[in-house]
Amino acid sequence: MAITPEANATSPGSKPSLPKESRASRMWLWNTIIGLVLLAIISIIPLFNDPAMLHTWTLIVMFCVLAQGWNFIGGFVGYAAFGNVVFFGLGSYAVGIMLNSGKPFWLGLLVALVIAVLFAFLVGLPILRLRGHYFAIATLGVAVAVGELVAARDIGGSGGLLSVHPPTLAELPLFFYGFVGLSAITLVGTAVLSRSKFGYALVAIRENEQAAEAMGIASYWYKVAAFMLSAAPTAIAGGLYAYWATGFDPTTVFDVSYSVEMVLLAFLGGAGTILGPLLGGIAFEYMSYQFSVSGFTLHNSLLGLSIIIVTIFLPQGFIRLVQEVMRPTSLAGADDSYWLRIREGLRRVQRFIASNGV
Amino acid sequence: MDYGQIIVNWLLLGGFYAAVAVGFSLIWGIMNIVNLAQGALIIVGAYVAYVAFTKFHIDPFIGIIVSMAVLFIIGWVIQYVAINRVIRAPFLVTFMLTFGLDLLIIDLVQLFFTTDLRSINTSYGGAGLQLGPTRIPYDRVGILLVAVLLTWGLNEFLSRTRTGNAILATGMDRDAARLMGVNIARIYALTFAIGAALAGAAGAMLAQVYPFAPSDANTYTLDAFVIVVLGGLGTPWAALAGGMLFALAETVLPLIPGVGPGYENVIAFGVLVLVLIVRPTGLLGKAFYA
Repeated sequence: MAITPEANATSPGSKPSLPKESRASRMWLWNTIIGLVLLAIISIIPLFNDPAMLHTWTLIVMFCVLAQGWNFIGGFVGYAAFGNVVFFGLGSYAVGIMLNSGKPFWLGLLVALVIAVLFAFLVGLPILRLRGHYFAIATLGVAVAVGELVAARDIGGSGGLLSVHPPTLAELPLFFYGFVGLSAITLVGTAVLSRSKFGYALVAIRENEQAAEAMGIASYWYKVAAFMLSAAPTAIAGGLYAYWATGFDPTTVFDVSYSVEMVLLAFLGGAGTILGPLLGGIAFEYMSYQFSVSGFTLHNSLLGLSIIIVTIFLPQGFIRLVQEVMRPTSLAGADDSYWLRIREGLRRVQRFIASNGV
Repeated sequence: MDYGQIIVNWLLLGGFYAAVAVGFSLIWGIMNIVNLAQGALIIVGAYVAYVAFTKFHIDPFIGIIVSMAVLFIIGWVIQYVAINRVIRAPFLVTFMLTFGLDLLIIDLVQLFFTTDLRSINTSYGGAGLQLGPTRIPYDRVGILLVAVLLTWGLNEFLSRTRTGNAILATGMDRDAARLMGVNIARIYALTFAIGAALAGAAGAMLAQVYPFAPSDANTYTLDAFVIVVLGGLGTPWAALAGGMLFALAETVLPLIPGVGPGYENVIAFGVLVLVLIVRPTGLLGKAFYA
């Protein structure tokens, strides 16, 4: 893997000088502000009074939240969780069942949150002892098994089909604002996390788990905590979705492709960054939507092809490419001409793209 | 209850599952790639056999060879053009890349063959040997034999030929293998091509016994996943063992009183998670693919 900013800051080869370091350390603030401004711009969408547009953007922001939730375990700790959809599904069913038994919506969301975080804790205890692919498959297995169990036990309704009393039309923008607010909270939470001792511990586990252990980080408990953290926004998003969609079954809310999509979005933007999952989510989901409404029969091919091209040319996400290009050059000095900087930038882009070849 | 029939069904289904998983296991074991496009390749194999049968009247058992040849070429191209470029990236990158391939392949298959369910109906399709109450269909026995033959053949190829040894060496230590004069890019292309060819064989078998449509692809990817974990990544035989185990879960567990149908997947994936926790390397697995 090529140089990550964290690794670079401490590598003995680089010569950190004070002003440059302070620029790098303000990066998190800029990332957060850019993200919040972006969400603020998106939040004017209900003013257009276009139900179709509102529907699309509600889903787009929902996927952003899912990617942001995945980012805690997948991006910071670097554990490829492929079953995070299970928290979404649990959240949906918790809210659906609560609503159908006449309880208020907010209580449903609270129950969804508690159940999903508790589930993450209980499941995390055994499966976070696994690593790499095995962890990925175990999470996938848990998600599929829970989804199938809900269907087989007829939870919520026959075959798990659950419908709730639909919200009124005037309430629909509230769900949109709910998702935007959830995304903003998660964004700020990610920013705070990335500056905290806890966040640094998670990154240390990602970079080298043995070394992190040797430094006195109880990596197992940090991983469990990160897994619980990633369950929280996912479950609330599931709860919001349950009321918004008014009807769902296990094949929709435990859909494995949701899991894959979370990873994809976080990954396209840049896993383990503050802004990455949000940017990746907005860009990819909007593009995907445009492909599907274009009426072009091959929209899945275009989607697949764009994933292939992006993974080959941006294997560490968009944000990391920008960071790599913006990194202060080591050529800085007397001869720091504009032309040299551009050449250095191009060289870095080339190296970035080719870094993973045979 | 007819125990003979249950055992026959189990063995015949297990053979098919082994064929589904053996290529997936090879690609994963050697290159550390979880090939999400494996199901799509299996479906392509099924359509190749289908076209060979309906257009050129080639018997599906010979169609297995045709399908393997076509998929071998497709696999080689995929690895050489795309996956080799990101092979050193964290495994998530190849995961995403194969997911993109999966979308692309399924969509293209849908474009050419529509989403209709297809199947191959041979003249001997319904024929079978009747042993008392137990019926043994000939075509499925053929599939079991071909699956075992392919597993054995892959094992022999890997352990006895120079190229096979180069594949194993690359799987154990890429850089050391390169220093020994192995052309890594070509070995990886060959490995993926063999994996794809095995998917083609599984597809041609699938076409004979089940109806199929492009949207089925992901089911087979997921099945391959579970089978490989159950068996472990050690050798081609591990895939066979995993296939048998998965088939056992699917045929026998619903017969247990009080369980009933509908719980097959719950049990299969529950067992999967348990196996992972208790013995992460699978039943016959070793640390390396060797």
